[in-house]
Amino acid sequence: MARDAKTSSLRYKTSFGDKLFMVINVTVFAVFTLICIFPFYYLFINTISDNDLVGKNLITLIPRGIHFSNYIALKDVSDFANSVIVTVSRTIIGTSLMVLVSALAGYLTTKKEMWHRSLWYRMLVITMYFNAGTIPWYMNMLGLGLTDNYLGYIIPGLVAPYNIILVKTYIESIPASLEESATIDGASAMQVFSKIILPLAKPILATIAVFGAVGNWNSLQDSLILMSNSPELYTMQHRLWVYLNSSSNLATAMQTGGSVTSAMLNTKVIKYTISMVTVIPIMLVYPFMQRYFEEGIMLGAVKG
Amino acid sequence: MTSLVKAREETRRGNTLYIIHRVTILLAVVCVFYPGFNPGRITTAINRNVSLFTASISYNSLVSELERALMRGWVQSSTFVLVMIASIILVVGIALCAVGGCMSVGNNRMRRSGLWFPLAGSVAMTAGLTGLYLAYGHIVQANNKRVPAHFPGGFWLFAVFTAVILISTIVLIIQDRREKKELEDKMKMKESYNLFLLMLPFLALSFVFSYLPLWGWRYAFFDYKAGGELTMDNFVGLYWFTYLFENPATRADFFRVLKNTLGMSALGIATSWLPMAFAILLTQIPNMRFRRIVQNFTTVPNFLGWTIIYAVALAIFATDGFINNFLNNILGISANTNYLMSNSHMWIKMLLWGLWKGLGWNAIIYISSITGIDPTLYEAAEVDGANRFQKMWNVTVPSLMPTFFVLLLMSIANILSNGMEQYLVFSNSMNASSLEVLDLYVYNLGIGNGQIPMSTAIGMFKSVISVTLLFAANTASKKLRGESII
Repeated sequence: MARDAKTSSLRYKTSFGDKLFMVINVTVFAVFTLICIFPFYYLFINTISDNDLVGKNLITLIPRGIHFSNYIALKDVSDFANSVIVTVSRTIIGTSLMVLVSALAGYLTTKKEMWHRSLWYRMLVITMYFNAGTIPWYMNMLGLGLTDNYLGYIIPGLVAPYNIILVKTYIESIPASLEESATIDGASAMQVFSKIILPLAKPILATIAVFGAVGNWNSLQDSLILMSNSPELYTMQHRLWVYLNSSSNLATAMQTGGSVTSAMLNTKVIKYTISMVTVIPIMLVYPFMQRYFEEGIMLGAVKG
Repeated sequence: MTSLVKAREETRRGNTLYIIHRVTILLAVVCVFYPGFNPGRITTAINRNVSLFTASISYNSLVSELERALMRGWVQSSTFVLVMIASIILVVGIALCAVGGCMSVGNNRMRRSGLWFPLAGSVAMTAGLTGLYLAYGHIVQANNKRVPAHFPGGFWLFAVFTAVILISTIVLIIQDRREKKELEDKMKMKESYNLFLLMLPFLALSFVFSYLPLWGWRYAFFDYKAGGELTMDNFVGLYWFTYLFENPATRADFFRVLKNTLGMSALGIATSWLPMAFAILLTQIPNMRFRRIVQNFTTVPNFLGWTIIYAVALAIFATDGFINNFLNNILGISANTNYLMSNSHMWIKMLLWGLWKGLGWNAIIYISSITGIDPTLYEAAEVDGANRFQKMWNVTVPSLMPTFFVLLLMSIANILSNGMEQYLVFSNSMNASSLEVLDLYVYNLGIGNGQIPMSTAIGMFKSVISVTLLFAANTASKKLRGESII
């Protein structure tokens, strides 16, 4: 298929206009790609260059005086180290529980025998399109005692209707005969789920896991709304935002960290380093997960 | 023999006692999460938003408004430890009842075994309520004006639940013994009920986090101050809705915010063809490796949060950022402008940040569709003498139109919801007024200023319009394409 496209485009009579189009086209994409990736390169070279030079705004295109001590020094910025623990733990716990719930709920909604199945399914789907609004949601969370509470990150995210629908659609595409033969052999619904459905649904579960993990990793809004009185529960993004907005806040955190202050002339370096720390994991994981990301968006398209 | 089984089956079905039993248990479970019915609110000094469930899992929430009272020794902390323990016992008791309630839809053997759970559960509930009553006694004894004793209405409610469950369970046990039903070899349940019970926890979660907030809409009709109470005294009817439009200051604010929201959404919709153009032009490039590289790098920003995008913006455009460094160090032009501290063209700037973040990613769906187009269409066009652009316009674009159309309708339905994170992180003293969109306004007003009723009213307005738009978009889609989008 790909070769077909190639040969057919080679079959062109390469006129001047055609060549010009190609040159412009490739240039535009090259420039856009560069714009997408350059800021991260710039951030990165500033975190590994000599801190004096960075402080004097002298690092523009090439790193100088390379060292990695900034990354090590971050562990002394205790507020940030704390927010890393919050974010990493919620990413692991929240995502794995969400995947488990989506898998089970998605499987159960495929079972036509369920008492009033279509009613319950509709009840889940409606929540995707309608919500009461931020403030009633917040008041509800307050009433449930989930504000300033770590569980406020985990519990509301367990039932994700969109992911349940994705799993349901995927399971419905698995030949029903597999499940039927197991049922005839006397397997219960839960046995069928754990022995047959879970292994077969792995691709879709990986997809929703990847999206869920990215969502948790980047979470800012729920931290802003729910944890306003508990700085120790801020997520990484929330903490970074606080630092970006007020250097004084960061300077205090660095002083309480002790040794850091002398090593760093300004808060700029540490801001950049913190930014890189939140970016690098995604950059590292992305190439391996890209397949799942792309599958995910296609599934969303055919959902219907 | 079969007729006997049938008759028994019918007596079971007709047994209203089971229905009362199950419904009571269900109500008790729901009330556990509802702060207004907390039987453990033995003094008005306990935060009125603490439900029985909250009290049983978080001591900090329970005593959140009692720090001073405990420090000064007006009341003993042991009282509240007792409240928490009693709450835990009560919740565990209700959980046991819930297990029994679930088992009561099974076969005879399962129902019989299941009856022991609500028996144990209602005994535990009695113990829990007794504990709460003792704690209430402590408060009465302490007799401090600042920690006034309050006999919670929820106590009676749970006492009634306990009584009903206990009595119905005992009657059901006696009835079960008397009837001498045949017991099956194994505990079993009808598959339809079994599946429903497995689903029930997820439905409950969905109810609590997606439907229960609707009950919060009532705040829009009260003069509520954060931490206050909703009583008939501060019921104000539609006051906030008329205030929003009659007070000149709020009206001006609201229309400014609405203008920002609609303006930026309109820009988004006006450029919604860009991902399609990106995909079509990219697939014109025959070099697969180049395409792969472009696709990989341009999709990365989509997976970064808005805080990171803002960090990038600072690194590039701030006074000590890349642009100024580049001008100073490489071109030798003296410059120290902070490009982010400006209020000019904010809508366009936000659009560009949005495109930088999402363009590559949003193109993927079109790229996949393009690879799925039947190649014979192109061959036929070529035979007819179509050039590159004619083929793009007459073959590729029409086959992408259905996807484009769905996405366009969805973005029209979401015209009021542009999210708050992007605008929040980019806000500063200079540009806040032209960045504030509806979602951000509601957040600033409600969470920032504590104006719960007003922000709830605005949120209601937004929710209702959004749903109307969604249905309109769906109807349009059905009319035009014969296919619904939701």
